[in-house]
Amino acid sequence: MWFSKSFSTRLSLNVLLIVTIFFIVVLGIVAVSSHLLISEEATRSASNILKANILDIEKTLQTVESTVKDASWLAKENKDSEKYLYHITQKVVDENSNIIGSAIAFDSCYFNGRHFFSPYSYEDPETGELKSKELGSVENDYFTQEWYTVPKESGQPYWSEPYFDAGGGEQMMTTYSYPIKDSAGTIYAIITADISLDWLSKKIDQIHPYEHSFTTLLSANGRYLSAGWQANLASETAFTYAEKLDDPRVLEISKNMVAGDSGTMRFWVGSKLSFAVYGPLSNGWSMAINCEYGDVLERSSQMHMMLIIVGLLGLLIMFIMCYFKIRQLTQPLKDFSASALNIAKGDFNAKLPEVKSKDEILQLHDSLAYMQQSIVTYLEQIETATSAKKRMETQLYIGQKIQEGMLPKNFPNDSRCSLNAKVIPAKEVGGDLYDFTINDNRLYFSVGDVSGKGVPAAFVMAITRVMCHLFADLGLSVQEIATRINNSVAKNNDANMFVTLFVGCINLETKQLEYCNAGHNPIIVIPPDENPYYLKAIPNMAVGVWSGFEYKSENLDLRPGTKLLLYTDGVNEAEKADKDQFGEERLLQLVSKPNFRNLNSEDMVSAVYSAVTDFAGDNEQNDDITIFAITI
Amino acid sequence: MEVKIEKIEDKTMVVLNGRLDTTNADKFQQDIAPLMQGDAPNIEIDCTDMEYTSSQGLRLFLMLQKSVVARKGNLVMRNMKPNVKEVFDITGFSNIIRII
Repeated sequence: MWFSKSFSTRLSLNVLLIVTIFFIVVLGIVAVSSHLLISEEATRSASNILKANILDIEKTLQTVESTVKDASWLAKENKDSEKYLYHITQKVVDENSNIIGSAIAFDSCYFNGRHFFSPYSYEDPETGELKSKELGSVENDYFTQEWYTVPKESGQPYWSEPYFDAGGGEQMMTTYSYPIKDSAGTIYAIITADISLDWLSKKIDQIHPYEHSFTTLLSANGRYLSAGWQANLASETAFTYAEKLDDPRVLEISKNMVAGDSGTMRFWVGSKLSFAVYGPLSNGWSMAINCEYGDVLERSSQMHMMLIIVGLLGLLIMFIMCYFKIRQLTQPLKDFSASALNIAKGDFNAKLPEVKSKDEILQLHDSLAYMQQSIVTYLEQIETATSAKKRMETQLYIGQKIQEGMLPKNFPNDSRCSLNAKVIPAKEVGGDLYDFTINDNRLYFSVGDVSGKGVPAAFVMAITRVMCHLFADLGLSVQEIATRINNSVAKNNDANMFVTLFVGCINLETKQLEYCNAGHNPIIVIPPDENPYYLKAIPNMAVGVWSGFEYKSENLDLRPGTKLLLYTDGVNEAEKADKDQFGEERLLQLVSKPNFRNLNSEDMVSAVYSAVTDFAGDNEQNDDITIFAITI
Repeated sequence: MEVKIEKIEDKTMVVLNGRLDTTNADKFQQDIAPLMQGDAPNIEIDCTDMEYTSSQGLRLFLMLQKSVVARKGNLVMRNMKPNVKEVFDITGFSNIIRII
C-alpha cells in the first residue's frame, strides 16, 4: 500500500492506538457510571411510583372502608327492618363506584330466628344493573366463609383473601368485612363490601413506568390480588410462582412482601436482569413494581451507541489528520535521507534541505553540514598524508636500493676461498653491514651492526662500510682499521650511535687469521675435523663510543677447509612469539650437524637463514639479520 | 620495561624490570628523561629484574653515561643477570659504565 510501513504511518498508528485505548477506557467509565446512575435513578423513581400508587390504592380502600363503617352504623340503627337493611346494602353499592356488592350477614337465628339472614345487593356483572337477594342458603353457607369467620372471631375489620364469589357476584373478588356489635360487645352481624379483582387489576395495570414493567398486588397471605400477567388468581400465589421460576430471590421477595417489609431486589427473569421495588399497604397487602433493566437502560444504550459512532468517526478523522501532519513534519527527514545518500555516493557537497524550524530537524541539518565539512577536511588531510607517505616510501625504496647496492655482491669463489653473505633488514633500510675485499693474497672481511634501525642506522652503516672497504684496500691492519673507524664515528656523534664490528683478515697463503672484535657477537669457527666453536676475542669497545680507544687484535692459524660463520644479533636474538630467543647454543648445534659442514658458503647462509625464520615462525622480525659464511 | 625512579637524599635509585628491546626503547628513553637533568647526579640502577637489552637499549645507557659524565656525576649499574652482563662485556660497555 502507498502508506505501508512509513514512519508517519507507524507514528499515526501508535497515536491512534493510544487514543483508542484512552477512548475505550473513558467510554467504559462513562458507560458503567451512567448505568449505575440510571439504575439508581430508575430504582428511586420506581419507589416513588410505588409509594404514590400504594397511597392511591389505600385511599380507594379507605373510601370503601369508610362507606362500610358508615353503613354499619345505619344497619345497627335499623337492624329490625329487613327492607331498610336491603336499602342500606343498595346504598353502599350505589354510593361507592368501587364497590360491586355489599351484604349484611346476620348471625344464625338473630334476625327473627332465621338461620340465614343476609340482605345482599350487587351489580350484575353483565348488565351493570343493581340487584338484591338473600345471600345465605344451604348451598352458600356464609357461616363457613372466610369473610365472615375471620372478623367474627377477631372482632376486627378484615380484608379477605381473593376468592371466586360463586353465590354472589360470580367473579374474583376481595371483601372488606366489618363486624357489627351490640351494646354488650357481641358481634351479631358482619357488613361487607366486595371489590372486583378485575377492577383492581385494571387499576393496578395502569402502573406501568416502562414498557415491560408490571405491578403485582399481594394479599396478606401472598395470594395474588393482581398479578400483572394472566395468572390464575384463584390458584396461584406468589410462592407457587417463585417455585415455578425456581428463583430464591423471587421467593425472598415474596416472603418479604408477606412480612410487610419494603425494599428493592434484583433478580433474573430468564436472561433478563430485572429489579423489583415493593412495599406494604396499611391493610396488610403488599405491592411490587417489577422492571427490566433492559427498558431502563435502553436510552443510555442508545446514547452509548451514539458515543461510539462519534468516537470512531473522530478517531478516523484524527488518524487521517495525524498521518498527513506527521508526513508533513517528517518530510525534511526524507529530504535529508536523499542528501545523505548523495553524500554516501561521493557528492560531499550535496545540497542539504533548507530548514526553517528551530528543532531537532535543524540540529540534524547542522550535524549533516558539519559532517560534510569534516569529511572534506579529512579527505584533504588523508590525501596529503597519503601522498607524503607515498613520497616517503619512494624515498625509502630508493634508499633501500642504494643500500643494497652498497654491499658487495660479487662473491669470490675459487680454490683459495669462497664467500657468501646476506642482509635482511627488519625495515626498509637497516643498520647491518658486511664487506670483503681481496688485497694481494689477503682476504679482508667484516660484519657490523649499527645500534638502532632504520634511516639513522643506515647512514652510519653506509659510512662504516665505506671505511671498512677503503681501509682494507689501503692494506691497513685490522687493529688500525677498527681504530680509524672508531675515531671517525665517535667524532661528532651527538646521537650516540655506535657500531659493533668484527674485522678480520686471512692470509690466503699461510691461512693465518688476524682479527679484531669491536663489541660484536663472537664468530663461529668450523674446523674441518673438529667441533665448531665460538671464537674468543679480547673485548674491545664497540666502534663510535669512545674516541681514542686503543683496539687490540689477535691471531689464529686456520687449516685449509675451515669455515667461518659471521652474523649479527638478528640471528641469535631472533624471537618466537613467546620471546624465546634462537640463541647462540642453538646456532652452534645447527652448524655442528655433519651435513652442515659439507655445505658450500652459499648453502650455509641459506641454511642458517631458514633455521632462524623457521624458529621465529610468524613472529615479526624485529632486528636486521646478517649471515656471512667464508670457506678457505 | 618498567622503570621506577626514586630519589633518596642525594642518590637517585632506578629499578628496571623486564625486557628492553626495539618495541619499548622509545618509551624507555622517555622514562629515563628525568635522569638527564640536574647537576652532579648520583644514579644507581638496579638491574636485578632486567631480562634483556637490545643494542638500542645499550645506546640509551651510553647516552645516559655520557650525560652523567658531562654533568660531573656518577652512574652505577648493579646486579646484572649474566646474559645482560655478557652484552655489556662483548660491546666493551663494561669499560665505560661502572657495573658492580
